[in-house]
Amino acid sequence: MKNILLIIFVALFSLQAGAAAAAEAYTPKVYGKKGYVWDEMTPERVQVLKMGGDVDRGKDSFRGCRGCHKADAAGVREGVYPRLTGQHASVLIKQITEIRAGIRSNPKMLPFVEDPAIAMEEIGDIAAYLSALTSVRENGKGAENMSARGKKLYNDNKCYTCHGKNGEGNAAKAYPVVAAQHYGYLIREMKLIKHGTRGNSNPGMVKAIAKFTEADYEAVADYLARLPDYRTVVVSK
Amino acid sequence: MKYKNNRIGSAVLACGTLVGMLLLSATARADDIPPLEERLQLCAGCHNPDGNSVIPGNPKLSGLDAKYIARQLSDFKEGKRVSEVMASIIPMVDEKEFKPLAAYFSKQKRTDGVPEKADLVAAGKQIFDEGVIGTAAPACAGCHNEDGSGSNKFPRLSGQDPTYVKAQMLNFKNAVRNNDPKAVMQAVAKRLNEQEIEAVAEYIVTLKEAE
Repeated sequence: MKNILLIIFVALFSLQAGAAAAAEAYTPKVYGKKGYVWDEMTPERVQVLKMGGDVDRGKDSFRGCRGCHKADAAGVREGVYPRLTGQHASVLIKQITEIRAGIRSNPKMLPFVEDPAIAMEEIGDIAAYLSALTSVRENGKGAENMSARGKKLYNDNKCYTCHGKNGEGNAAKAYPVVAAQHYGYLIREMKLIKHGTRGNSNPGMVKAIAKFTEADYEAVADYLARLPDYRTVVVSK
Repeated sequence: MKYKNNRIGSAVLACGTLVGMLLLSATARADDIPPLEERLQLCAGCHNPDGNSVIPGNPKLSGLDAKYIARQLSDFKEGKRVSEVMASIIPMVDEKEFKPLAAYFSKQKRTDGVPEKADLVAAGKQIFDEGVIGTAAPACAGCHNEDGSGSNKFPRLSGQDPTYVKAQMLNFKNAVRNNDPKAVMQAVAKRLNEQEIEAVAEYIVTLKEAE
């Protein structure tokens, strides 16, 4: 009898402790700080991934984003705002939830993507909507064609390991599509990732582009910007 | 004993009381809430009978989403949106009137407006359509549409009085007006300077409601 009571007490106590731990506020871990883990599954990201997404609802929720990313979600040619069309939903969810959590630093976007501007329930919908879109408008490219040099750098530094031979990324691992992105945006983000200011740098990528010169950034960005939409590439097996 | 039966007596009394109560409540209702046409006269003083105010600084209510109007009215009532004029008017209006008033004004056609400073219109269009890249101010067209027609989420802007728009934008910028449900307008207005706000207001008044 005593044993049973003891078991009940222990069970009750651990339940309470568990609830308290779950209620504890999530503390973001930023690149360069102690305890940073790239691609950490934050509580919100786990929830959003579980909820899935609805394309029609996403179109409606995206309305508030159009001021910068434009009505066709193709961003701005100069690259100040990226193309979101055809990006993997898993990537969009990762980036949005990490910006909301304070892991990826994006003060310009934050007021328009945090509560109450965007509710957690809308994130999956927006991601589903954008991932199904295709860009019609031409993207920004380098002033001259540097894609031969860019391709060599891309391959020599094994960028394809994560971002794919056609810049198609990896939906399952939340590696972004980089093909046909705006030239200016690619350069900016590579630098932000290398310098750690983006907050959610992948340490592997920081190492891969550690020795990039200004000309290297330009060449790789131009190569990727000139790649076709990965969904139009026929992959031979 | 006046009544043969106590039961009938109490039934008559009950009926009498009920009728009396109904009459009383009917008169009380009529005292509190005037018919819509009468109430509209109060609004028309500043906003015109069709909601197309012609007094600089006063907003046009015509063609706004009904829910938006109703929400502004209850925000004025609850002090969530502050306006000296509306603060003196709104206590006279019952909450039950908000919905019919909003429905009335939302159905009125927005009239065209005239800019006060026509030389600012072109600069305003640039900001309205493209935003300001340097400060990351989003384009107004993103939420309010390129023709300023708005939606069920964001109010119609086309033809709106430029003095009013400028004043509201500055109120958002300085967080004097903070009843924007998603705090989005405050975030946008903070990224525009006073000259940009003025130019946008001068462009907005030139936008026309589609036929």
